Amino acid sequence: MSHSRNQKWREVGVLISLIVMGLIMVSPLIWTVMLSLKSNGELLRSTTNAFHPPYTGENYAAIMANSGVFRWLLNSAFVSILQTLGVLILSSLAGYGFARLEFPYRNQLFLIVLFGLAIPEQAVIITRHQMFADLHLHNTYPGLILPGLAAPFGVFLMTQYFKAIPKELDEAAMLDNASRFKIFWKVLLPLTLPAQATLGIFTFLASWNDYWWPLISATRADMFTLTVGIASSQINFAQTSGLGYLMTQAVFASLPILIVYAIFQKYIVRAVAGAAVR
Amino acid sequence: MSALDIRNVTKAYGPTTVLDDISLRAESNEFIAFLGPSGCGKTTLLRMVAGLETVDSGQIHIGGQRIDELAPGERGVAMVFQHYALYPHMTIRENMAFGLKNIKISKTEIDARIAEAARILEIEPFLDKKPGQLSGGQKQRVAIGRAIVKKPDIFLFDEPLSNLDAALRMRTRLELAQLRRRLKATMILVTHDQVEAMTLADRIVVMYGRKIQQVGTPMEIYGQPANRFVASFVGSPPMNFMPVTVTGTPSVVTLRDGTVLTTAIANLPESASWELGLRPENVRVNDTGVSAKVEFVERLGERALIYARLSDGTAITAEDVGLSRLTIGDEVHLSIDAQAAHLFDADGRGYHAEAA
Amino acid sequence: MLSAKAKTQFGNFLFVAPYLFVFAWLLVWPLMSGMGLSLFKADLFGGATFVGFENYARLMSDPVFLQAVGNTFLFVLLCVPPLAIIPLLLALLLNRSTRTAAFFRGVFFSSSVLSVTIVTLIWRMVLIPDGGFVANILAVFGLPPIPFFSDPGIVMGSMAIITVWWCLGLPMMLYLSALQQVPQDIYEAAALDNSRWWTTLTRITLPSISRTVVLVVIMQCVLQFQLFGQPQLITQGGPNGASRPIVLFIFEVGFRRWDIGYAAAASQILFAIILLVTLGQYLLSRKRTGDA
Repeated sequence: MSHSRNQKWREVGVLISLIVMGLIMVSPLIWTVMLSLKSNGELLRSTTNAFHPPYTGENYAAIMANSGVFRWLLNSAFVSILQTLGVLILSSLAGYGFARLEFPYRNQLFLIVLFGLAIPEQAVIITRHQMFADLHLHNTYPGLILPGLAAPFGVFLMTQYFKAIPKELDEAAMLDNASRFKIFWKVLLPLTLPAQATLGIFTFLASWNDYWWPLISATRADMFTLTVGIASSQINFAQTSGLGYLMTQAVFASLPILIVYAIFQKYIVRAVAGAAVR
Repeated sequence: MSALDIRNVTKAYGPTTVLDDISLRAESNEFIAFLGPSGCGKTTLLRMVAGLETVDSGQIHIGGQRIDELAPGERGVAMVFQHYALYPHMTIRENMAFGLKNIKISKTEIDARIAEAARILEIEPFLDKKPGQLSGGQKQRVAIGRAIVKKPDIFLFDEPLSNLDAALRMRTRLELAQLRRRLKATMILVTHDQVEAMTLADRIVVMYGRKIQQVGTPMEIYGQPANRFVASFVGSPPMNFMPVTVTGTPSVVTLRDGTVLTTAIANLPESASWELGLRPENVRVNDTGVSAKVEFVERLGERALIYARLSDGTAITAEDVGLSRLTIGDEVHLSIDAQAAHLFDADGRGYHAEAA
Repeated sequence: MLSAKAKTQFGNFLFVAPYLFVFAWLLVWPLMSGMGLSLFKADLFGGATFVGFENYARLMSDPVFLQAVGNTFLFVLLCVPPLAIIPLLLALLLNRSTRTAAFFRGVFFSSSVLSVTIVTLIWRMVLIPDGGFVANILAVFGLPPIPFFSDPGIVMGSMAIITVWWCLGLPMMLYLSALQQVPQDIYEAAALDNSRWWTTLTRITLPSISRTVVLVVIMQCVLQFQLFGQPQLITQGGPNGASRPIVLFIFEVGFRRWDIGYAAAASQILFAIILLVTLGQYLLSRKRTGDA
């Protein structure tokens, strides 16, 4: 009896602590949304009434009228999608190659790629910036997309995944007269869909939120991604008179990814879990 | 012209030789079983025929054509894998069609072949399901079906029954035997299960230690084992072996406890370095005969196996009726059917009575 | 025969070739040439002069760089422990398959999908003393606002708070999937042994996921040593360089002063620090689990 009562109290305790922590977690977001609904003039005087009317949609109207933000949004979408596709293609091909095919120095090459996991972006940034300058790739889409394709994580993940597929399947396909590429494309690749989802989601998120490389490579406002664009407008934060407008930008810029997150939450959770198991 | 002709084939992984100078012929429509303990190279040999392993030296011919340098798909063989290896994301129909599409067989022909195979194997209801929705036995049939539609010259089976439970294995074994009669094709089965080999094969190839030990019909393998290994590997419970001295002609032998037996084996040199081989069914519990002490009784229902020791300590397995009342520690008499005995020389080579 | 084999192997190599090309071109080569560049006095416009290890010597006596190194270590010390512990607590509370748990998992992970620019925008308006969310709450209790960004003693703490809020989702998910890997029968056995809640936690649950704890700590160290966006956007490294981390130093030297040889040398040092810390933790954790 006392056992079950204990358990009940524990459940209530768990719920209360979750609610408290959850509130702490989301209060900055709610605060931001509230401020975005206030007029810039009012916020210039005081923010104490953020949770009281009057509210206004003027900041949102102003965002809609600002084509720059939409340009950045499109840039981000274009770069992220192409980078994700590129990583999926390169990693799948290489993962199949490393997991299944024979060629000289295969294991040594794979080890070098693994070592690449330890190279931080900052260690290569200076010379990569110069290389791209020499090739006139700055302020271009290829310039924004290419560096992300070199990350070894995808190759590592896909190689592990291909290795886990029973080799009998390849052999059955070989006896079925399937070519090397056909085995890859028709037999094994469809079986890697869960890994593709994991890798795709990770790559897309990382690409969409990347700040470091686009900040350095995209210096023209029309080539900004959303992250860099939003950053450019908060540089003069201290002097700004448009607090509400800035907060609206934050809301507006987080909406696409939050919507994507809300839709794919189940898959994202599964993806993270999948990557953790390895 | 043989359906399959393996000539002096050798295979090594690094410094480890797994197959040493193997030669073997299979005739058209013959069912051959490769039988041996795990690690004897039987699966490697099968995979070499399939083209999944390279041949270090020697040649393999199918239907008179040398195939050991061809790609697996070009050899005219079909294989049923141990774990079925069905493509999980394709329906059963697509699984069966995949290989045919790859060699550009017409759609109508593919449909006809699938329909025929599905009818023979009674898998019509599953054709549009995925392998994950099928039971082990059903997957097994599909794997066979995928082989049938290719109309291969040779079917290769890699331990196809080892993943089924005991009851299903027995049923599938029967079906395989019936299928074999319908298909009229050359078949090679790799197995470590002697019952499978005995019941299915026309000829058994017993393999051990990188070598073929014996090739023969099931009854030859059982009745005239070429050597001590074959004699001990085939037959359950295994054959009794006991050291004996050959003292006369036709070979009179003396056991270590002094018992003298007269075998039907002619003209062997007198020597003390022989071994007598006796299958348990030829050693029966009786009122008279060699005396022994019961160490363990295994009751199988229709018969009982008596594990006993002769007075000199030699272990011997005998048979008794199913209702045997013997218990551990009993003193019994064993009557030995010496006419059915085998003799093995110091090198393990087997000698048998002239075939009865 | 041999050429046929060579042809097959070449075909095989073609599968990995595209990635290897990108890898060599965009990662290996810049790394190597960066190491080379760090031995030169070079700027974007003029030529380069070989100076040996002079850049490194300069860094070792550059107070700005040394301060940045100190700041970075301080930041890692401030935010990695909470990032290892808070997500673990959340995961323990959320390791169940109810709808409520799923909802809260979503809540705690949501901040992780935001970019650093959005996070800083949001948190600036939360922490800013003049009309910020926290200042408003303090005012309700009659307390003065806290100078989160202008006090050199506080500013890295503020960065750590922001970072913990931003980054706790991923470790929580890693812990959750580790907890789900713990075989259920261990818990059943523990229950049969009358194990209490606390005993079960400390003797069974935590030891079973110790590998994940190590993974999280190493991952967060690697990640947080690369701190950049938060101070770059909010404080530009101020006040008086109190929030300037190594990466911001590299950024300023390399892309504002265009002293690229010097910046390359600084980035090699960062690389070395990350490598050493990772390796050290890895070996330490190996040794500890080996002793146990």
